[in-house]
Amino acid sequence: MGASTGYMSDLRGDWVAQIGRARELSPFVIELSVLCEEEVLGLGRYLGGEPSLPFRYLSIHGPSKGRVMSERELVDELVRLSPWADAIVMHPDTILDPAPYRALGRKLLLENMDARKHDGRTADELGRWFELLPEAGFCFDIAHAWSLDAAMLAGHELLDAFRTRLRHLHISSLSPQCHHVALTEEHEELFGPLLARCVDVPWILEAPPREP
Amino acid sequence: MFPGSSRRLHGSPDTGERVQPAALQELTAASGREFPQLARARRSTSEGLADRRARLGALSHQPDVAVVLMGSWGRFELTSGSDDDFMILVRGPEREQVAPSIEQVGTVLDKAPGDQGIFGKPVYSDQIIQKIGLERDNNSNLSQRMLLLLESVYATGAAVHGSVREQLIDRYLDQSVKDFRPPRFLLNDVIRYWRTICVDFAGKEREGPEKWGIRNAKLRTSRKVLFAGGLLPVFECARLEARQMAPFLRSQLDMAPTDRIAQAFLNHQAPDPGGRALGAYDDFLGLLDEEDFRAELESVTRESSKSSAAFSEAARLGSELERGLSALLFETSLYPLVREYGIF
Repeated sequence: MGASTGYMSDLRGDWVAQIGRARELSPFVIELSVLCEEEVLGLGRYLGGEPSLPFRYLSIHGPSKGRVMSERELVDELVRLSPWADAIVMHPDTILDPAPYRALGRKLLLENMDARKHDGRTADELGRWFELLPEAGFCFDIAHAWSLDAAMLAGHELLDAFRTRLRHLHISSLSPQCHHVALTEEHEELFGPLLARCVDVPWILEAPPREP
Repeated sequence: MFPGSSRRLHGSPDTGERVQPAALQELTAASGREFPQLARARRSTSEGLADRRARLGALSHQPDVAVVLMGSWGRFELTSGSDDDFMILVRGPEREQVAPSIEQVGTVLDKAPGDQGIFGKPVYSDQIIQKIGLERDNNSNLSQRMLLLLESVYATGAAVHGSVREQLIDRYLDQSVKDFRPPRFLLNDVIRYWRTICVDFAGKEREGPEKWGIRNAKLRTSRKVLFAGGLLPVFECARLEARQMAPFLRSQLDMAPTDRIAQAFLNHQAPDPGGRALGAYDDFLGLLDEEDFRAELESVTRESSKSSAAFSEAARLGSELERGLSALLFETSLYPLVREYGIF
């Protein structure tokens, strides 16, 4: 288990500080989250300096907002980052043209979307993306699946459909506005059967750990 | 008896029927993951075995001698770049004349290794069975014994190969074995062998950078399959009475290592992690069979590895395999056994 830097908004722009906080949770797994394209360039400069990092699994979450670059320009930047990463996660609803993303090969992961989005939410919708990007792996966001179906049947359908592609897991609960918040005890229990199917892949917290 | 302990291959493995493996097929059914590269490699192994058996069978044999194939042959994972690693196995003590000779077998096999390695001389069962531990049990003796036990298949002399493996298992299952506990003597030697492989990797690197990339990639993949394929059956013995362990281990070691691993994932209700772990290994085997991929791995050094796409992919697949195996050992009903016996 490790942390996503996506919830460290107070440290945004300072990769050293974000990584330091993530490392307090786990020195093994991390997801470096770049919310906007500008941060992609900044992360490239940081990683290009060859920092000494302890992580055995390093994921990069591609930008999901404020897109200005062309698809090809963005993918070129992500390809430049890929040697440092085990995985590069993208939201399918932000992909306009899938073709350039094939350059990321098996490092590309597609994440299932929450109920507010119009695509990439269910097994059927995500399945169409995997047809277009057959080498891509699956990043299972368990809270997004809950937002579709609180009984978690949609979550089981997603895992049934893409379990062989599964590469890592996003864990949190969601606020009523679908923002990631600390995993509640109720959700921890509710998500248990799904989590038990994912014991071999890295788990990435998308919100701070619950206060004891 | 726990689930799967009586599961056998459909017929004798010696006839090449590992092409239709029960455990791997069951894992496909349970996980949704197919293993096309393993299936293809098993077909290649069976076809190659039939050919080698016919050719080697034409050589004159003393009745207590077997020609045994090791490595990818023993794992039933033959790819286009696989060597014909072999051992001349003699049942009994060391002696002067052995037939067939290393040289005779070398002329029959297409890609036989040189005569400088650990199989450059005949292997005598008395040596590997009686000299376990202490100074006499050198690196070669340990490697010969473990490879014979964990990843070997006979080319000739089926009865000799079978009986020596049986004697070896019996030697490990000595008076110290207790009901419902893993046999510690064997457990320690399997773990010792894996750690020896890892230490020797570093030793070879100090001798020179040649083949660093392919050695490293294999350490991350096929060597882990070799280790896990030995470790898991030993842990499973903890569910058995002492008298049941020898037949259980014999039946397990007759299976390909990937079948032993698949069966463990099934027995411990972890089919999805099993599908992903062996799926990653399946992908690696497929890539290893590609000439360009293998050539790049063979030329990669520690310094150039960061810029090698082939090495990066091999490392990624190795990590997926390792995560699956770690989950099996630490996140399933195996965990109490691993905690109790795996470290100390």
